Amino acid sequence: MEQIVFYSLSAVALGAGLAVVLMRNVLHSALMLGLALMAVAGLFGSLGADFLFAGQIVVYVTGVAVLVLFVVMLAGRESDLHSVQTNEKWPLALAIAGVTFCGLWRLFCTYSNTMVRTPAVPTTEGIGILLLSDYALPFELISLILLAALIGAIHFSRAEEKQ
Amino acid sequence: MLQTAYLIPLIPLVTSLVILFGGKEGKDSKMPFLGIAAMGWCFIHASVVFFQALTGRIALDPGNGYFLYEQLPWLAWGDRLRIYLGVLIDGPAVTLLFVVTLVSLLVQIYSLGYMHDDKRKKRYYAFLSFFTSAMLGMVLSSSVFILFACWELVGVSSYLLIGFWFEKPGPAYASKKAFMTTKLADCGFYVGLLLLFYYTGTFDLVQIGNQVEKGLIPVNVLNAIGIGFLIGAIGKSAQLPLFIWLPDAMEGPTPVSALIHAATMVVAGIYLIARTYFIFNAAPAALSAAAWVGLFTAFIAATMAVTAYDIKKVLAYSTISQLGYMMLGLGVYGYTSALFHLTTHAFFKALLFLGAGSVIHAVHSNDMRDMGGLLKRMPATGTTVGIATLTIAGMPFLSGWWSKEAILHDVYAYSPGMWVIAVFTAGLTAFYMARMYVLTFLGTPRNNEKYEHAHESPTSMTAPLWVLAGFSLLAGGILHYNHLFEHLVHFDGQHGKHHAPAFLLPGAAIFVFIFGVGLAHKLYSGSLETAKSLRKQFSWAVDTLEKRYYFDDFFLWLVDLSDKLAAAAFWIDSKIIDAIFIDGWALVVRAFAAVHDFIDSFFVDGAVDGVGTLTQDAGSGLRKLVRGQVQEYLLYVSLAVAVYATFMLSR
Amino acid sequence: MTLSAYLTVAGLLFCIGLFGALTRRNTIGILMGIELMFNAANLNLVAFNRFLHFDRLDGNVMTLFIIGVAAAEAVVGLALVVAIYRNINTIYAEDFNLLKG
Repeated sequence: MEQIVFYSLSAVALGAGLAVVLMRNVLHSALMLGLALMAVAGLFGSLGADFLFAGQIVVYVTGVAVLVLFVVMLAGRESDLHSVQTNEKWPLALAIAGVTFCGLWRLFCTYSNTMVRTPAVPTTEGIGILLLSDYALPFELISLILLAALIGAIHFSRAEEKQ
Repeated sequence: MLQTAYLIPLIPLVTSLVILFGGKEGKDSKMPFLGIAAMGWCFIHASVVFFQALTGRIALDPGNGYFLYEQLPWLAWGDRLRIYLGVLIDGPAVTLLFVVTLVSLLVQIYSLGYMHDDKRKKRYYAFLSFFTSAMLGMVLSSSVFILFACWELVGVSSYLLIGFWFEKPGPAYASKKAFMTTKLADCGFYVGLLLLFYYTGTFDLVQIGNQVEKGLIPVNVLNAIGIGFLIGAIGKSAQLPLFIWLPDAMEGPTPVSALIHAATMVVAGIYLIARTYFIFNAAPAALSAAAWVGLFTAFIAATMAVTAYDIKKVLAYSTISQLGYMMLGLGVYGYTSALFHLTTHAFFKALLFLGAGSVIHAVHSNDMRDMGGLLKRMPATGTTVGIATLTIAGMPFLSGWWSKEAILHDVYAYSPGMWVIAVFTAGLTAFYMARMYVLTFLGTPRNNEKYEHAHESPTSMTAPLWVLAGFSLLAGGILHYNHLFEHLVHFDGQHGKHHAPAFLLPGAAIFVFIFGVGLAHKLYSGSLETAKSLRKQFSWAVDTLEKRYYFDDFFLWLVDLSDKLAAAAFWIDSKIIDAIFIDGWALVVRAFAAVHDFIDSFFVDGAVDGVGTLTQDAGSGLRKLVRGQVQEYLLYVSLAVAVYATFMLSR
Repeated sequence: MTLSAYLTVAGLLFCIGLFGALTRRNTIGILMGIELMFNAANLNLVAFNRFLHFDRLDGNVMTLFIIGVAAAEAVVGLALVVAIYRNINTIYAEDFNLLKG
């Protein structure tokens, strides 16, 4: 059961990721991004991180992915649908990605026998306590960063005032 | 009044500054009246002090030869050099105060008429006040250093006033000549001053006097100091051989000639020797040098006056001659008589110059051949100049007679041989003065146009003439009466040993006076035929006299010689020394520099340029890689990370 | 399931994201690639937390922070895209050449 869930979610995540990268239509890419993020959220869930599962859905799927969709529709053009969406350096990029993965895979092999030994427990309470004790300062900083991002986004996307 | 005598030089100084910087320049300037008022105040002040001193109302400082001696510190460098601003008032100082302020006042009044149409009146009066201030400062100063400073200031104002009409070449040249000649002499004064300070350690006249009196200074040193001071006096008082500037100085305005080059500034040299007479009294060589210089100056200048036709030149030579008399008087222990003559000479020589100025003002010419018979046209000027002429010629019982007689008496006592020359010179004086008067005022007019045009000068010019005429007539007698002047001005030193028969001195003087005046009248009162034929007959002598015994030529030759020497030195310097040492060395340096330049440009610069070129080439090569595509940069970063990670992992 | 399986999925996802970020001409596509890389990293963190330090929650908290930062990044990046599009009327990365020397 656990393995079926894992493999299916992995397949969805990787397939959707590939689709994000390879599809010509940016709108479709954005939709696929949402799917991939949802699959990752499912993986979080299978890892017992229930709070992150919810957070991922709330922030990424309903926040970031939808935002991307909006921008695609705001800044998109008719011609985008038919032009090639990858640049001419893709073989080099593919090689880099491949080399990187090979390196990573060699590292991952060291953990091939590591298994879970304890059952999953709810994490929300623990995360809440940590956020307000040990991680209080980074927590506040994140709020500050979000505020700055909010103001910055408004500043950049605002229409030019007529002088 | 005595205590505040220091104000007498300061008031004209302030006045001159006010005149110079205040008010508007021009013909209608009111500033001359300010100058006259200030000088009038100074004259009243000075005359009160003078008469109090003369009549014994103020006593001499007990045990000392002065009335007032006060000083306050001015400059101090270290322990030894201290200079004081001080006032030392003794008999000669009081006399000079009176004479200078009187003549200055009269000259300033006279200038109102004489300079009536001049455009730079304000400047003229500022200079006159400044000159008077410097002269009075020199008279009063208790320190030889301050005396020297004022001496130079007097020289500067003389330069400014001779060259007052600086737009004409004559005055400009004359002012330069006067300045340079007197500066040459001032070198002597300066050396004397340094020697004096070296041996006494002070500039103060009273302290120096005490040291000399106690015999603290060797006689040779005193002689050297005395000679140095004498050289200074020779320049300032126009003695042989540096008298050449005074005749040229007549290019200045005539009132200036009267004030500076007759009555006051030129007697500064005499005054300097009188002020430091304690040095000369102890320095026999310097004193006899003064006597001989004075004697020859008096004689030679008198001979030069005989042939001159320029009325101011005659007076200039006469001034030189009379200054020679004073120098002679000082040289023969005649301290009192020399200063007596200085006083009376100031009156009648100022009168003569002012009278001559009046004549020039009327005739617009300096040449006596254009004059003649002017007495009828200008009675006041003629009469007063006549009085002055008789005074200087030695008419008995006038001022000049008393003072010249006193000098001749002292000369006879010193050396009868010198007395003969001096008496002969007195005869010459009578002759040339009478000649001048006859040519100018008597006889028939030689230039009718100018004669008709001539007229008497305004009151502002004749009034000073009358005042001076009064002094010329009476001052000598009054001062001689009861030995008034001798009580005021005397020096307890040595005296000559020769005693003349009682009748000889006055008799000889009266004889030469009558002979000289009579000869002049005979030669010049009628037509000038006799005189002209005499000139032709003795043309060589006349030439010599008119060329001033070739003194000018001698100095010009000296200058020329030094020019040539300088040219030769320059040639040697530029052609030989420069060629060998400078140019040769330069060649060596240039060769070395060329080698150095090669190394520098080829190796050092090559290395520097190489680095630069390398950087530039590498930069432009790399520039092709960087196209501003951020995505490419990301690619490069990823590539680097991937390669580095692979390398790290595969170790 | 073993830890290496999760890590392999995360690694693949990271490489796919990297490839997308390097090859997409569209700026929004680049941003999406970066989001994928973030998620791969998150997955890594959570997996390590679950398998190696199951008694602690620091990996989860760190992931939470990364999600926050990624959200901020996405917001600012997309605002920039909009601004650029408004100014030069394109969102293709090769047209942005102001940095060209």
